[in-house]
Amino acid sequence: MPKVIIDGEEYAFEGRPSLLQFCLDHGIELPHFCYHPSMSVPANCRQCLVDVGAPVRDRETGEFQLDENGEKVIRYFPKLQTSCSHVISDGQVVHTARSSKKVERAQCDTMEFLLINHPLDCPICDQAGHCPLQIQAYKYGPEGSRFEFQKVHKPKKVKLGPNVILDAERCINCTRCVRFTDEISRSRQLTIIERGVKNYPITPPGVSFDEPYSMNVIDLCPVGALTSADFRFQARIWEMASAPSITTTNAKGSNCFLWVRDNLVMRITPRPNPDVNEFWLPDEDRLTYRRFNEDRPCGPAALNKSGPCSWDEAIRETAEILSNAGKETLFLASAHATVEDNWMLMQLAEVVGGQVAGYIPHIEPGHGDGWLRTDDRAPNSQGCERLGLQPVDMKLWGARLEAGEVQVLYVLEDDPVAAGLCSTQALDNVEVILHYHSTTNQTLPSANVALPAATVAETVGTFVNEAGRAQCVVPAKVIKGVNRTLMMQMGLSRADQHGTPFDRWHNESHYVDCKPSWEIIPLVARALGVEIAAQSPKKVMQHISVSIPAFTGATYKAMGLSGVMLPPIEIEVAS
Amino acid sequence: MTKAGDWKSYKRVLLPPVKDLHHLDVYQEQGGYQALRAVLSDWKPEDVTAEVKLSGLRGRGGAGFPTGLKWSFMPPVKPDVPRYLCCNADESEPGTFKDRQLMEYNPHLLFEGILIAGYAMSLKACYLYVRGEFASWITLLQNELSKAYDAKLVGDNILGTDHSMDIIIHKGAGAYICGEETSLMESLEGKRAYPRIKPPFPAQSGIWGYPTTINNVETLACAPIIINRGGDWFAGVGAKKHPGPVLYGISGHVNRPGVYEYPTGMLITDLLEIAGGMRDNKKLKALVPGGASVPVLRADMIDGVTMDVESLQEAGSMMGTAGMLFLDEDTDMVAFLRRVARFYHHESCGQCTPCREGTGWMENLITRIDDGEGNLRDLDLLLDLCDQMEGRTVCALADAAAWPVRNTIKRFRGDFERRCRPAAWAVNA
Repeated sequence: MPKVIIDGEEYAFEGRPSLLQFCLDHGIELPHFCYHPSMSVPANCRQCLVDVGAPVRDRETGEFQLDENGEKVIRYFPKLQTSCSHVISDGQVVHTARSSKKVERAQCDTMEFLLINHPLDCPICDQAGHCPLQIQAYKYGPEGSRFEFQKVHKPKKVKLGPNVILDAERCINCTRCVRFTDEISRSRQLTIIERGVKNYPITPPGVSFDEPYSMNVIDLCPVGALTSADFRFQARIWEMASAPSITTTNAKGSNCFLWVRDNLVMRITPRPNPDVNEFWLPDEDRLTYRRFNEDRPCGPAALNKSGPCSWDEAIRETAEILSNAGKETLFLASAHATVEDNWMLMQLAEVVGGQVAGYIPHIEPGHGDGWLRTDDRAPNSQGCERLGLQPVDMKLWGARLEAGEVQVLYVLEDDPVAAGLCSTQALDNVEVILHYHSTTNQTLPSANVALPAATVAETVGTFVNEAGRAQCVVPAKVIKGVNRTLMMQMGLSRADQHGTPFDRWHNESHYVDCKPSWEIIPLVARALGVEIAAQSPKKVMQHISVSIPAFTGATYKAMGLSGVMLPPIEIEVAS
Repeated sequence: MTKAGDWKSYKRVLLPPVKDLHHLDVYQEQGGYQALRAVLSDWKPEDVTAEVKLSGLRGRGGAGFPTGLKWSFMPPVKPDVPRYLCCNADESEPGTFKDRQLMEYNPHLLFEGILIAGYAMSLKACYLYVRGEFASWITLLQNELSKAYDAKLVGDNILGTDHSMDIIIHKGAGAYICGEETSLMESLEGKRAYPRIKPPFPAQSGIWGYPTTINNVETLACAPIIINRGGDWFAGVGAKKHPGPVLYGISGHVNRPGVYEYPTGMLITDLLEIAGGMRDNKKLKALVPGGASVPVLRADMIDGVTMDVESLQEAGSMMGTAGMLFLDEDTDMVAFLRRVARFYHHESCGQCTPCREGTGWMENLITRIDDGEGNLRDLDLLLDLCDQMEGRTVCALADAAAWPVRNTIKRFRGDFERRCRPAAWAVNA
């Protein structure tokens, strides 16, 4: 196998890897800005310079030439090479800044150049704290600057599109954003204008940067030049905690981080997963962060308690309604809820003896783009299917509800009125038990018992995306009540970021009084006198993965952070 | 006897003294397109390349790369893979104005050269990328090209043979960087003129990603001469290692600035004499021998130096484009360098960090010195910046910007030090 020597250590390699990617893959740090593994290599930042050489062979014998000490004679390239554009070949010798003063000096020089016209406004910059320029300037840059002139001034606040704002002075012209729109999203909405030191990226005249993936350039930007119109100046990096999660605006199940400060989700950024979303996230996924903070319920309510009540009262009331109605109860599963929640609902339906009509499909034809957006606007249709649930026959059940043939309707984390299953009037004579996320739920006014359910940001559970990949989520923020399972799933240091009831700074109103559905349903079952054995989502998934063939292998351990592909099943296309 | 031989009896071939030579009929009366006819009827393509190799012709665009060798880098012909010739007429180096003369006074020599080169490399299309500011020359070229098309000299089945070739004149939009071969191609493709990383070289991946050879106007204009008179004749003109006729663009403080055609290897002092000597009988102070980017020579460094790659390298400079700028004793070298630095600052494309940031910083520093507010340490900082820029960018613009700064400061340090504020303490008190 061909070998390359980097800083005196030998590494075997296969194929024709780029030197920079090879180093990064092997834990050798090389400073860089313009290089991105999924895009073309422009080699324009000139930060990743290294010294590359190869042993000299004798022209006639083909043997390596040796010096007086018996060492191979190395002939180096006359110029330093950019490691991003350099393809390794067998026997080459590479010196990074760790073993070459020349390289160290070159990297320091480039850094000095990068900083002379950079505003150095880190104290007010969104990027500060996780800024590649800031980090690498500390590590590789000069101690001070010899630049004694006025910096170049460029536009400070350019609204490129609805979601992205440019500060051209911070830009270091790595062209990552331009290449993203050229090569990845192919909208070609960005270009570099001006020349030389006045260069900056902008949209062509009359064009707004409004493509559905525009906000990816914010993450790509190695400095704080491209900022989110929403998140700009809202929070510092070190004030927030990030929790791995998945997005729930569509059936793609793109991996993301939820960034939380004081128990509010501040922003959503992509979490790289080569099998799902690579490095990207559509804008619609990012902009849903508000729904975790706004219009949230404050505790359960029951109609015959004339409004807010305690969880105990709400559960008792639910159990009463269910035991009265028995087989007449209609259960609606949900493609918005986790696999565990839906499974729990099926158990409850068995206990009560009612019928599960299926889940309400949320198909929006034409919304998908074959990439990270899908026609299906719910995250877990596939999970429901794999549990044996079908899309609700909207006509049939709509007609039955309108005709008053249903006595009790138990809705799991969905909104039948908004989905067009039935009218509000039709529900006047139906006793509705509703698990809901948001006070904007249109079925809420008709609910006899309203049970606030935890959202994806607060719960533990599994979603199955359209391709059949099971992915589990962990809570990013805490709920008001105490739930050991949820707490165990949170990172150890995370309480710092949410505040505890003993902190002066933390805001009590940011704690939503809700419970995950997988906690509510066993409580209802218990009130009906039945214990559901597996109560934690982890145990539920363990059980499902063994008992349902469509979920084989979907344990929490196997899913980890990047999910696991489930065996293929035949799916009836939701109508 | 100099390397240039008996230059006083040299007969001009690139720009012969014929009235209205730019007209097709005049050009043909003078024996024009004979080389093309000969090549198309009797020569094999590889023989043409071999003849050019034999002639020892080196590129006239500045780098001086052997032309025959460059042509032989083209990969073997594949039926479905187009290949291109590109003629670089984006002449914008300060002090260089020779290609313009050729395009104005002898455009058909250029077309003939392009057609011969196209035949040698078996290709069917040539892009003639002309600097946008040359608006009137573009009109002239286009008129003459249309006449050549009408006379079946260009286009399909040239002169009744199987060989077909098109010449497409492309007007640049005005940037110095477009003269760099790879950014010229980007510009031609309609993209922003950012130089490409090499390798791959144009012969592997050029215009639209296809094999491309790119040559300067004057280089291609030499091809018919080589065919007509033979590679031997060409190799015998001027300096041995850098032979052939050259257009010297002489400017600066001389009595008769202009473009002069002579063999390579001319003594600089002879050329100065040809140009009528220094204006007002002043003394020569400095010479930039090949366009603004090459290192400047002090007057005392040019004795016995001839205009060819070897001799100039020995003297500490380069041949470049042979655009010679003579500066007299009254020249303010600081102001001169300030202007040069301003040019490169203005023309840096901004792709690579060292060039984008460094050129501006250099101009700032030199401006400060020129304004009398510079410090002695600024000179060392300037030299430092040269180190930081040279050889660290995609194309050679950073080098082109750094060389004049480095060499002007090195060779005229006294001029610079006098303009700086004295050091805060005496150095050797």
